[in-house]
Amino acid sequence: MPELRKDPIVGRWVIIATERARRPGNFVDTNDNVFEGTAEDCPFCHNHDKVIHSIRNDDPALHSDWKVLVVASGTPILRIDQHFQHRGHGIYDVLNGYGAHEVVIESPQHIANMADLSSDQIKAVLQAYAFRINDLEKDHRLQYVLAYKNYGWTAGARRIGHCRSQIVATPVNPLRVKEKLIGAKKYYDYRERCIYCDLIDQEQNDKQRVILDSQHFIAVIPFAARFLFETWILPKRHCCDFTRGVEGLEPDLAAFLKEVLLKIKVGLNDPAYNFVIQNAPFRRAHDTKGKWKTIEDDYHWHIEIMPRLTRVAGFEKGTGFYICPVTPENMAEYLRGV
Amino acid sequence: MSELRRDPVMGRWVILNTDRPLGPNDFEKEEHVFKQAEKCDFCYGRENHTPPEIEAIRMNNSQPNQQGWWVRVVPNKFPALKIEGNLDRRGVGIFDMSNGVGAHEIVIETPDHFKKFSDFSVEEMANVIAKYQSRTIALANDNRFKYIMVFKNYGESAGASLEHAHSQIIALPMVPKDVLEELEGAQSYYDYRGRCVFCDIIHQEYQDKERLIVENGDFISFCSFTPRYPFESWILPKKHTSDFRHLSNDERYRLAEVFKDVLSKMKICLSDPSYNFYIHMTPVNYEHTASYHWHIEIVPKLTHVAGFEWGTGFYVVATDPAVAAKHLREVGIKV
Repeated sequence: MPELRKDPIVGRWVIIATERARRPGNFVDTNDNVFEGTAEDCPFCHNHDKVIHSIRNDDPALHSDWKVLVVASGTPILRIDQHFQHRGHGIYDVLNGYGAHEVVIESPQHIANMADLSSDQIKAVLQAYAFRINDLEKDHRLQYVLAYKNYGWTAGARRIGHCRSQIVATPVNPLRVKEKLIGAKKYYDYRERCIYCDLIDQEQNDKQRVILDSQHFIAVIPFAARFLFETWILPKRHCCDFTRGVEGLEPDLAAFLKEVLLKIKVGLNDPAYNFVIQNAPFRRAHDTKGKWKTIEDDYHWHIEIMPRLTRVAGFEKGTGFYICPVTPENMAEYLRGV
Repeated sequence: MSELRRDPVMGRWVILNTDRPLGPNDFEKEEHVFKQAEKCDFCYGRENHTPPEIEAIRMNNSQPNQQGWWVRVVPNKFPALKIEGNLDRRGVGIFDMSNGVGAHEIVIETPDHFKKFSDFSVEEMANVIAKYQSRTIALANDNRFKYIMVFKNYGESAGASLEHAHSQIIALPMVPKDVLEELEGAQSYYDYRGRCVFCDIIHQEYQDKERLIVENGDFISFCSFTPRYPFESWILPKKHTSDFRHLSNDERYRLAEVFKDVLSKMKICLSDPSYNFYIHMTPVNYEHTASYHWHIEIVPKLTHVAGFEWGTGFYVVATDPAVAAKHLREVGIKV
């Protein structure tokens, strides 16, 4: 019997229809993860002209003076050199494309998947994210920063086998982020607790959706997963934003993230995936509307990982209602066993 | 040059980045090869391979589940939701769940395995729309259902697993989130201005003209000012109506004309792309009919949605809708 489940934060329903299911290990519709070119012609190995930030390397084995490099995107979707202007066009609203778009080159070595980097290297990537987010916060026109990764062609990346992620800062708060914030705030108003902290408790009790559990982090398949093997990594220490939340825990998170990404790589035959760091928006001292009054208590940063195993069809696009062919409990059990 | 635009209904921002604009020939081409003709359950003469039909358009003297049909509606063999049982909502700790009650039907649009929907005659298309309508009306009578979704996946990369022309109807026990957001957005616009936001969009599109694709007496089609995907196109009835179910015979034919025109233009302009379309209408027994306006959204599958889009709901598109509309307008077709 199919089942409907509701995401407790944003209120989205998903259909878990297991009768259309496939066996674990047979989830991949198309594995199109083919990379082209070599280190010689890789744009991330050479020619770094617009360097924004770098983390110095002290490991002679890497043959490089940098460990992680943050550069301006060569094909930016938003630009910092545009002036900030908000105007109307009839009934429509238009803003100039003001914002920032940076690329984090995660290693001097030509390695494709973050799962194959050392934890020490991943730690440096996390430090680079935090540094850039803190720096972008100083620009008062920016409201939100998203650090994310597209790995593989189906996940929206170019076919270059060099690990990188992206940082985009936007002048408005995105819709999906707002939904999460509103959902978490509603729950807090009602119960005076953080919904994510409650969720961690429940997952630790239920155990069946847990993939990996460590002292500071927990990885679960969400109760109302939208996609096959959608995975959330939640920090156990409550904090609404990533930069403060990760402070001091970078080595733990790096090792944890690596292990989860490796499980996905090995268990699901190296699929394309996206991950995003869900972070609180910038709060400004001059915010007089009191918009973020309880955000320190009601929101909880986390990471969402989405392997791209199935195609999103018309039903999902039209309704925002997702159909998942395997139960989250079975998915978690499978990944635990990898 | 890039620009942020806000959707007036949902309040969602999209990024239009035309530094390196993508034209009709800049997308990856997808071949549609027929491979399943041998054992296709939707084909003429194989009527007993599907679950018994619910409705059909057939010749006068023909019997159900036999030959002699043009359009058939059958239950999905592998339904996402099941028709039996009552809705049973319950909590599991902080989570909410329910059993999967609903309907999942398939509209087999033609007996001809090799005929694509975009190549249908206006009359054939009107027949399919008639079935969307009659099924939507029938399913709305079941008081367990709150929302009826009509949609089509064409081509593998748009999520179609079967190549024989078909669309799907799903009746849901709750109103889906994206639809709810659209309804709420439209209602709050109406509360503020006392007008339907979609009627205002139609006026705006008439004034601007640059995003129009085609129109006739009853329907208009244009590329959305705030597209989530390149070449995203909408079809709306010019007259304010919230409910798709009330189409007259004549209107159905006029809709088929515009629908066929837009799909044929896309097929020629974008080299037969995979696509999805879906109909957005009001939920069953919805009160606020003045604020909502039913419509069809057509989304060709040309690019991959990336992490930024998933994480934020912020879409990045590299084709200016005005340019997309111009390309589509310039494709010459005789209907």
